[in-house]
Amino acid sequence: MFSSPLILEINNLSIDFKTKDGAERKVLENFNLRLHEGQRIAVVGESGSGKTVMASSILRLLPEAHSSGEILFKGENLMKASSRRVSEIRGADIGMTFQDPLSSLNPIMTVGDQVSEVLRIRGISKKEASTRTVELLQELGIEDAASRLDSYPYEFSGGMRQRVLLAMSVIASPSILIADEPTTALDVRVQAQVMATINQFTSKRNLATIFISHDLSVVAGFADYVVVMYAGRVVEEGPVDEIFYRPAHPYTRGLLDSIPSIDQSSEKRLNSIPGVTPEPGQRLHGCVFRDRCDRAKETCSTKAPELLNTGEQHLVRCHFPLLPLSISKSKG
Amino acid sequence: MSDISYLEALEVSKVFGRRNRSKTAVDGVSLSVKAGDSVGIVGESGSGKSTMARMLVGLLPPDKGLVAFNGDDVSQLRGKQKSDFRKDVQMVFQDPYASLNPRMTIFDQLAEGPRLYRLYDGEQRLRAAIEELFMSVGMSLEHLNRYPREFSGGQRQRVCIARALAVQPRILICDEPVSSLDVSIQAQILNLLKDKVSELNLTLIFVAHDLAVVKYLCSSMAVMERGKIVEQGDSDSIFTNPIHEYTKSLLKAIPTPNPIAERERLSRAKVQ
Amino acid sequence: MLDKSEITSQWGRLSWFEKGCFVGVISVIVLAVVGPWIAPHDPYFVDLDKSLLPPNSEHWFGTDVDGRDILSRLLFGARSTLLAPLGVIVFAASVGTVIGTIAALNPGVVDELIMRLCDVGLAFPALVLSIGLASALGPSLRSAIIALALTWWPGYARLVRSLVLEVTHKEFIESAKVLGVPRRKIVLRHILPNALNAMYVQTTIDVSAVILVISGLSFIGAGAQPPSSEWGAMVTSGRDYMLTGWWTVVVPGIAISVTAMLFNLSGDALRVLNDPTLKQSEG
Repeated sequence: MFSSPLILEINNLSIDFKTKDGAERKVLENFNLRLHEGQRIAVVGESGSGKTVMASSILRLLPEAHSSGEILFKGENLMKASSRRVSEIRGADIGMTFQDPLSSLNPIMTVGDQVSEVLRIRGISKKEASTRTVELLQELGIEDAASRLDSYPYEFSGGMRQRVLLAMSVIASPSILIADEPTTALDVRVQAQVMATINQFTSKRNLATIFISHDLSVVAGFADYVVVMYAGRVVEEGPVDEIFYRPAHPYTRGLLDSIPSIDQSSEKRLNSIPGVTPEPGQRLHGCVFRDRCDRAKETCSTKAPELLNTGEQHLVRCHFPLLPLSISKSKG
Repeated sequence: MSDISYLEALEVSKVFGRRNRSKTAVDGVSLSVKAGDSVGIVGESGSGKSTMARMLVGLLPPDKGLVAFNGDDVSQLRGKQKSDFRKDVQMVFQDPYASLNPRMTIFDQLAEGPRLYRLYDGEQRLRAAIEELFMSVGMSLEHLNRYPREFSGGQRQRVCIARALAVQPRILICDEPVSSLDVSIQAQILNLLKDKVSELNLTLIFVAHDLAVVKYLCSSMAVMERGKIVEQGDSDSIFTNPIHEYTKSLLKAIPTPNPIAERERLSRAKVQ
Repeated sequence: MLDKSEITSQWGRLSWFEKGCFVGVISVIVLAVVGPWIAPHDPYFVDLDKSLLPPNSEHWFGTDVDGRDILSRLLFGARSTLLAPLGVIVFAASVGTVIGTIAALNPGVVDELIMRLCDVGLAFPALVLSIGLASALGPSLRSAIIALALTWWPGYARLVRSLVLEVTHKEFIESAKVLGVPRRKIVLRHILPNALNAMYVQTTIDVSAVILVISGLSFIGAGAQPPSSEWGAMVTSGRDYMLTGWWTVVVPGIAISVTAMLFNLSGDALRVLNDPTLKQSEG
């Protein structure tokens, strides 16, 4: 149980998009999150789960979306903050990295300039910013950082670019890092290196992290707490060991079973989840997962399940979960 | 002509680009595939595995060496021999969104191959066969007259697999067919491939960057690094007892859904 | 070609204005076709008593200096005004498509040669060539058409070449090769239908440009000659009477601009209909 103070609280966040023909598509519904200082939360889900939309909306990066609910950063509601205030917060209080480092970096600006810029716009002198940039890049694993300040993104490999992006997001010493699929576009060995870098860096600074991923294995060693999303809703959340070793939701169980393991013999069959993921914003009655669930019964089509307790901090949204629900009522 | 079809790459090399700025994608690689084999080709980006796949299927001529099908040089095949090769060796590609003609119905795309090789006596039989094949890859009949844009990535891949199987090939080459799919869909497609390979007694060549996926489908494996095969052999042995440094580093880097093991691994890792 | 299901599904994405433009274009084409039959008067009938009558109930758009009914002239002239650009575009697009496709499918010497040829063609000022031809062959609508056709096709060759190149690298083409589909069929069945889609949009917009150019040429006397009822020629013959009979100039002028605009806007709207990249995204 995390005892450090709460720094980010997301309450009942719902996000709609209006499509051209006027219809409203709900891509996120009643999302809640509590992030404590130094805590690492992994938000996992496949396409259409709403995880990326959720992450982007924390820093108000989706102007065209209709959002409701509140996002409290150290008590301040970011949803109601002025755009100036949000700009101040971006980078200095909450940093974010994105999936594709190639398109997230300005191709015609040197790497050194891009990272230093984050400090320069906050009034730090050129010299000071440069020094801190070199220190940080070095710490993040870019060797000979001083000589590489004048290089352009295209001269860097994928893993290096991701580190540059990481540097940009943490150089102003934020208290929260949102990492949106930072390793997805990378080869497996580079992925391991970048994960090690992120791990070490965030540990050292006790940096609270929200790590978005579609790959459960990548977050298994990093996260303290895991939130599993499906079709815009949280279907299960809990401490990392609970989620991986004692999953309560059939979807989580199915996801874990879908991963070909290097230990299992090839005779054993991969248990796949039948059906397709619903379109983002598709209107569904009852439980969103029922079409693909082998435990689904009548109730599942008519009544949407609530997120309820199944153990220590472990919540599941299912009428027939794999673990018994505990007597104590739903989370606050 | 023996019934055992095999495909073989003999010291093939492929270089891209011009004289001063060239890149050797594949460097003197030999690979032999016998009937009934399921061979995986594993490597990271830049390893040359996709180029290998394209040379094996005859899309790219090697700059050095040759690809042989049943003993004959593929690039020298003409007429009926060439057409037999094309029919017997089929491929499933990586991007399900680019692998289907957006302006042709699913049915027409599935029927194109069989029509070309006149596999069926009359349109009725053709239709019936396509319908059966379509259902056997997990799709419903009413989708046959639709256009690709109405389908998800996983569904499109099923269509692509059906298209490849429609000409009754003996060898199926897959180039990262599940890399761009969601995890839960990946498993479906992998199972479909596993079933079809066993049901139709196909020879499989599976190219991927994911070792575990390759191990699931293939009994033997070739690990490629920068254009060369660095290790080759039985999948299980390679996993339990890797010899080459590169293979070892690859295996060490694969994350598993096991928090205890992963935390251990992360704490041991050094930031380079 | 655009397939029916795609058109019907995308039709709803157009605004009322865009839909109106399409209707407008079709109306103009229809009018051009049936014009001669519905014209109220004989456009060639000279009646000097009725010279320069302002618009009235009998002559909706008035008469010109020779007493000919403007409306009837407009309807008769619609054919030449529209057919000429259509002729140019059809020629340019066809020749351009063939040449562009050949260039795209034969990289190396063939491609380079063709592209240099196109560069020369594109560098040639169409208007100058038209005027030159006009003085060489004698000014007529025909010489204008020839001049424009000759200078317009390189643009299409370039465009089609890049469209074909883009499609050729897609995996469904590789797939057709692997299936064993013969090259000719791959080009006709797979490459062209996908590549040419974007080109159709361009042709519609070009029609509007050519309408303006040809009318312009007729206006300066290098194209259709009076007493042709081609709209540009109508404007030029009415020019001297601007003050006494503004309708002789303004009416055909507006007809030219409106028609060109309708084609132009419809071409833009075609881009909306023509969105094959509208895939159900996985992300």
